[in-house]
Amino acid sequence: MITNKIGVISCSGEECLGGTISRLAVRKMMEELKPGMVSTLCLPLFIAGDGGEREFAEKYPTIAVDGCSKCCAKRAIEKYSNKVAGSVDVAEIIGEVKALEKPLSTRNVTDEHMEYVNKTAAKTCEIFDDILIKSI
Amino acid sequence: MSKIKVIPCSGIGKVFGLLARESVLMVTEEKCPSDTETLCLAHVVTGDDEVVAKIKGETCITMDGCAKYCARKSVEETGGIVVKSHKVPDFMKAHRGEEHGTGTALTDDGWKYAEELAEILAEDVKEIKAGVN
Ligand code: SF4
Ligand code: SF4
Repeated sequence: MITNKIGVISCSGEECLGGTISRLAVRKMMEELKPGMVSTLCLPLFIAGDGGEREFAEKYPTIAVDGCSKCCAKRAIEKYSNKVAGSVDVAEIIGEVKALEKPLSTRNVTDEHMEYVNKTAAKTCEIFDDILIKSI
Repeated sequence: MSKIKVIPCSGIGKVFGLLARESVLMVTEEKCPSDTETLCLAHVVTGDDEVVAKIKGETCITMDGCAKYCARKSVEETGGIVVKSHKVPDFMKAHRGEEHGTGTALTDDGWKYAEELAEILAEDVKEIKAGVN
């Protein structure tokens, strides 16, 4: 079922750089690239929530944006809600070694990091647009 | 004693999740790096053997963005021992009327508040290390 919104969910991983990139890419989708068209949800709420949050990926076609190849968001969404409509792995975009570097505070984001965010958001956007086109 | 796990929810919709995340990073990266570490909460919720082994029976502190307490609940469900649990709005009273930013970026007031939250967490770490709790 296609609604007017598409779910985009980040792992927001705290242990490495890739998690910060995935989080910022989803925020960029929400604020700049697809304002008003993105539905998001705190990933842990899928599991901890008791207000029907697990139905999220049944209601919206959902894209998982993960910080490394463990793909926790994708796996958690598929375990607790529904199959994802698409997924992005930051490690495939910036390389596994980079993705697994130390976690990054938003205070210390450089132009290079923003380049990673932009690439990740662009990949997410591509998948987003594909889903939209298929729904017409 | 292994490192104390300090885990934020990193909620993405509002500024509270970012405040939780940044305050925890200040503790694990700057204030108490030799006594603390963080874990990806999204990894914790997968229940992978690897992450369960890291958290089961371990001393944990959680910082949640709201009363849904996702970090605390997920850590407990995975077998972590949450000895201190906080949520960002608990300490808002002295900050009423301030603008802390969004889920993307903090304002100067937001950074000051994150610093205050980090101090609270660092105090928890000291207490736990001293065996006071
Ligand atoms: S996908 Fe990687 S960065 Fe994201 S939560 Fe899992 S382990 Fe952490
Ligand atoms: S505790 Fe609140 S802000 Fe944090 S992940 Fe859960 S719902 Fe989101």
